[in-house]
Amino acid sequence: MPVLVKNQQIVPDPWQLLETIPDYVPTNAIVPVDQLVNTKANAVWVDGDLEVDDHGEELAKLDLVAVHFPMFADGRGLSLGTLLRNRYGFSGELRAIGEVQPDLTPFMRRCGFDAFVLESELAANTAIQCMESMSDFYQGSVIQPEPAFRRKRN
Amino acid sequence: MYQYDDFDRNFLKERVAQFRDQTDRFLAGEIPDDVFQQLRLRNGLYIQRLAPMLRIAVPYGTLNATQLRKLASISRDYDKGYGHLSTRQNMQLNWPELPEVPDILAELADVNMHAIQTSGSCVRNVTTDQFAGVAADEQVDARPYAEMLRQWSTYHPEFEWLPRKFKIALNGAESDRAAIAVHDIGIQLQVDEEGRTKFDVYVGGGLGRTPAIGALIRQNLPEKHLLTYVEAILRVYNRYGRRDNKYKARIKILVKAMTPEVFGEKVDAEWDLIKGNPQELTQDEIDRIVAWFEPPDYPPVPNASSTLATQRLQDPSFNRWVQQNVAEHKQPNYAIVTLSTKATGIPPGDVTDVQMDAVADWSEKFGLGEIRISHEQNFVLPDVPQNRLFELFALARSEGLASANQALLTDVICCPGGDYCSLANAKSIPVAEEILQRFDDYDYLHDLGPLDLNISGCMNACGHHHVGHIGILGVDKRGDEFYQISLGGNATNDASLGKIIGPSFSRNEVVGVIERLLDVFVDNRAEGETFLSCYRRVGMDPFKDRVYQEEPESQSYARAG
Repeated sequence: MPVLVKNQQIVPDPWQLLETIPDYVPTNAIVPVDQLVNTKANAVWVDGDLEVDDHGEELAKLDLVAVHFPMFADGRGLSLGTLLRNRYGFSGELRAIGEVQPDLTPFMRRCGFDAFVLESELAANTAIQCMESMSDFYQGSVIQPEPAFRRKRN
Repeated sequence: MYQYDDFDRNFLKERVAQFRDQTDRFLAGEIPDDVFQQLRLRNGLYIQRLAPMLRIAVPYGTLNATQLRKLASISRDYDKGYGHLSTRQNMQLNWPELPEVPDILAELADVNMHAIQTSGSCVRNVTTDQFAGVAADEQVDARPYAEMLRQWSTYHPEFEWLPRKFKIALNGAESDRAAIAVHDIGIQLQVDEEGRTKFDVYVGGGLGRTPAIGALIRQNLPEKHLLTYVEAILRVYNRYGRRDNKYKARIKILVKAMTPEVFGEKVDAEWDLIKGNPQELTQDEIDRIVAWFEPPDYPPVPNASSTLATQRLQDPSFNRWVQQNVAEHKQPNYAIVTLSTKATGIPPGDVTDVQMDAVADWSEKFGLGEIRISHEQNFVLPDVPQNRLFELFALARSEGLASANQALLTDVICCPGGDYCSLANAKSIPVAEEILQRFDDYDYLHDLGPLDLNISGCMNACGHHHVGHIGILGVDKRGDEFYQISLGGNATNDASLGKIIGPSFSRNEVVGVIERLLDVFVDNRAEGETFLSCYRRVGMDPFKDRVYQEEPESQSYARAG
């Protein structure tokens, strides 16, 4: 049973991810990116290798973008998340779906993801712990743009 | 050298606790094997043929006496009393137990050391010239910039899960001792007319199955842009590098597919958008890091040239050692000493706990407490007063660390090979051993001059065989171990990749083949010519003809003397 973690808490999922489009598209649907125009949805899911330069402006206006991680250790979604936030100014929910392993969520979070779909409650709780295991980092990130050397080390 | 502050120490402490938690969850069955594999790799832990292998980071090959003593005690307490110096200036332990690894990492953290990103598809330990900061031919000390890159790349949120491993090397001297041409990113540092540090950036070099020489994509990059420019390269690679085939996933394949020109344009386009972001180095930060590497106050030592000359005259073995293993220091009356690990009977790069303790002691007795590890798998003492060289030589000899063969034929670069590594097609250490035994006549070796002989047990090329003047590659032929030999590789300035001479040889043929190659060189060389320059002039044919000619029963190959 998939479990949603948002802002470091397990929460009910108000959204509904659609792989194919039914006749009637509910307002809480997360649709595939190629169905965005004809469904006028406010939420899409995309693959990590999406060419962000072709879609960034359009995605930035939505309420939710879900990025699919096809396998553990595929980091393309991390660049995509970073660019959606930093380059296109996306401020909605950035959700990680697919192979979301708890130990990868701290990286995703620092690349701008704020919601994670995990495979179980155990995995969700582990992810919450993982996201708290490190307190500070050398380089800047989406959630802390200033690298350590600009903040406290001089 | 760089000193950890509270930030660094706290980061390390949390990273050790994090890995301990990951290991506990794996041992409790909560993390699947394939996921834990990726997690442990990012802490340098492999599962090898016989046992795990832990690769401990030695950032840009620099460590202090306390750290080396800790490596000695760890190899004694958790391993079999020895470690292995790797070609990326790190130290590998071959026999740790998985449940003990978090304890090893905690002990390392006590002396500000770790195993972070020494394996896995992420930015690896940044390497540089083992003589950085003391070399007489240096323009810019590359260590501060290697340290800035270390900090920037450590646990980078976006670039920890790349298509494949990523290696960066920097060189700030005239001689390239860091092999920058065969790295994913190679950076040559120099100073312009106004005294400002600038970088030339090469990308897409590498060894492995598809060896390539890096292409220059940016000249004269000002130092403040170091991190943003590297960020642009990594982002292009992370987004577009192949992930469908691990043999085609290194950046060199992407650069080749796009062409270096197009790849460079893509990087520039990305860089234009991020230049000036908060990651851009501030002058304060550059000054802060550079200050850690300012030359120390060298205690004045007397000029020792006449004593040294007498000692060299009286003791021919000392004379050879000085000639071969002692390099010129920036500071008058000081010298840089290479302590060779390449002694007969010992796998290249292997050092015992006793040797580590001894080297740590000598670094304090004869220097300022600093030690380097070279990519040729030797120890280096960077600050030895010339009037103490004789004393150091005697001690080094008693510990088996005084082979006078730095940069000579027997200073073999060699991977652990089939004796340890599960990837290897063939053993490499016994081949190195046979070569060291066969060519043990110093006068002959010295007469041959500089000669890089590199051995890899498989095409992953950890022994850098592509860039050996003579390269030896272990191959599998119908289940038997064979060796392919190449000539003309070079890892330094004017880098080149070796060309395969022809069909491969069985193990018992290899030493005889090397002997014939050396004979061809001796017969053909012009005055003052090295093996490499001779090969480049005469080409492959004379070598090939001699190696594959039928050997008459009675013929023996005389060695030049």
